[in-house]
Amino acid sequence: MNSRERFFAVLAGETPDMVPVVPVLDGYFAPKVIGRGNDECWLDDSCLAQALAAAQKAFGYDGAVAEMGLGRHPNLLGCRVEVKGNQVPLVVETLIEDAGDLAKIAVPDPWQEGKLEPVRRLARQLGSGIAILGSVRSAFEYAASVRGLVDFFTDFYRNPQLARDLIRACLPATLAVGRALAQAGADAIVIKDSFASTSMISPDHYREFAFPAEVEAVAELKQMAPVILHICRNSLPILPEMARTGAAVLEIDSPVDLVQARQAVGGKVVLKGNIDAVSVMEKGSRADVERAVETAMKAAKAGGRFILSTGDSIPSSAPAENVAALVEFGRKYGKY
Amino acid sequence: MGLLDRFKQALVAGDAEAAAGLAGEVAARDTYSAGRILAALSSAMEEVGAKYETGEYFIPEMLRSAAAVEAALQVLDPYLFERRPDHAGVVVMGTVRGDVHNIGKNIIVSALRAAGYRVYDLGVNVSAAKFVAKVKEVNADLLLLSAFTTSTKQALMDVISALGEAGLRGRVKVVSGGAAHSPELAREVGVDAFAGDVKSTLAACRELMGGA
Ligand code: B12
Repeated sequence: MNSRERFFAVLAGETPDMVPVVPVLDGYFAPKVIGRGNDECWLDDSCLAQALAAAQKAFGYDGAVAEMGLGRHPNLLGCRVEVKGNQVPLVVETLIEDAGDLAKIAVPDPWQEGKLEPVRRLARQLGSGIAILGSVRSAFEYAASVRGLVDFFTDFYRNPQLARDLIRACLPATLAVGRALAQAGADAIVIKDSFASTSMISPDHYREFAFPAEVEAVAELKQMAPVILHICRNSLPILPEMARTGAAVLEIDSPVDLVQARQAVGGKVVLKGNIDAVSVMEKGSRADVERAVETAMKAAKAGGRFILSTGDSIPSSAPAENVAALVEFGRKYGKY
Repeated sequence: MGLLDRFKQALVAGDAEAAAGLAGEVAARDTYSAGRILAALSSAMEEVGAKYETGEYFIPEMLRSAAAVEAALQVLDPYLFERRPDHAGVVVMGTVRGDVHNIGKNIIVSALRAAGYRVYDLGVNVSAAKFVAKVKEVNADLLLLSAFTTSTKQALMDVISALGEAGLRGRVKVVSGGAAHSPELAREVGVDAFAGDVKSTLAACRELMGGA
């Protein structure tokens, strides 16, 4: 069984030879594998694709993230984004002050901007034996970024209609990028909804603002490829809804206990998680990685439908040894 | 329920309109000392912080209350200024270079304003030079540094050493806080105090200002 078969076996509800290991190793960590800076790769999609491919080859995990660098970010919708040094991209100018600005949101054509070509090359290079996970942001997350997170959250009470309209206006961007990634060869689409967790907003606000856009995006994109819904930090109170979006896989983070997560979502959906990207991957030792992997396997491996992963993006400052250890112990404890 | 209690309740509920209206009544009645009004404001923010810590409130609810505090202060500023020109202290605050998290910082800014401090908020991704220039310009008593990612340790140390080079380190007390913080980190970096939530931040500032 190769990596890609292992991944698809889990999605089909079959028991593979071992638990697939598919960390969220993306534009934060990958650049240093080829000795480049984050800024270089965020700004240059070929650099990023090369880094993501090199990282998979170096560590041998089962699925590689494929994303557009700045294309993942809201500059694609018309926001000015700045990248400096080894930092992550910053939105330096938000786009939306009031309802009159909604028309400013551009629906991107990722192909036209040439951003997809590197993703396609990446998929072609790794694609036959490795699962390719195209990564796109949710409409809720795009909306938060083009409005500014503080104003966006303030709108929930002050001007909920603006928040709803804005999310709606951002949905075409999520769909356009998601579809394009699938066309470029992604085997699955990860929808990132990082601001929708109950570490940030109440379950009621999740249901009111984030969930409807998730449902629409999943329904649309799953026609092209299975969808992985990512919500980092705590998502336990909203897991039943997340499962109802129709996503094939839920990516869950370290604050959520895997046993409780399984109870919350029932038997059908695949869980992907949940090694702590900061306390274990960035700051932990090899022994910490082993302990975390063993704990996760004990909690979620039995019965299948489990993919070992980090709960969130591996930070650029995480030691490479810990990434290697994640794969090594994933294999050691993951055999069925 | 007394007027100040209703005022506080509106702040905790994050009802900016009601809070501004009640603030107007408070000012019109002209019987409350500035100290009592500020105590109502800051205890409201402490309560909001506590509700967040216990999971009753989430970030939008905290931001809503912070906005209510700002709305009330707009109404009350002239009144308080007349009665208490010597505010609790002058604060410069911002998130350090390389870090863009601003939610926690904004909450603390509002809480400090509610407690009577004059606060200059420099925003996010602020360079050491900018902090130092502002501290000098406004003759700040306190410098509050937000830092949320571990990689900001160097940025924190840069601020401390830039203050030293400008000869200001003895004149301004430095407090740090934010998600990636620990007392150990604070000690290593060499700040005067470290705090984790609204309540402990207000207490630390009070103590550094020499109050009880
Ligand atoms: C929202 C968020 C973001 C948003 C920020 C948007 C914005 N406008 O602020 C975005 C998406 C941009 C973001 C980006 C990143 N983030 Co972030 N983010 C968060 C998150 C989920 C919530 C932060 C928040 O607002 N909390 C609510 C507020 C009220 O709490 P608070 O910030 O802690 O503030 C309170 C106290 O700390 C204190 N306080 C705050 N400031 C100060 C200052 C002083 C002087 C004092 C005394 C007290 C004090 O008072 C506040 C009120 O109680 C946290 C996780 C979490 N649960 O904390 C991660 C987190 C802070 N992020 C993290 C990381 C790693 C990142 C990224 C590197 C990307 C990544 N891999 O996830 C980038 C870095 C970007 C950059 N260069 O800054 C990590 C940091 C871990 C670490 N040890 O380094 C956290 C902890 C998540 C995690 N993975 O564990 N993030």
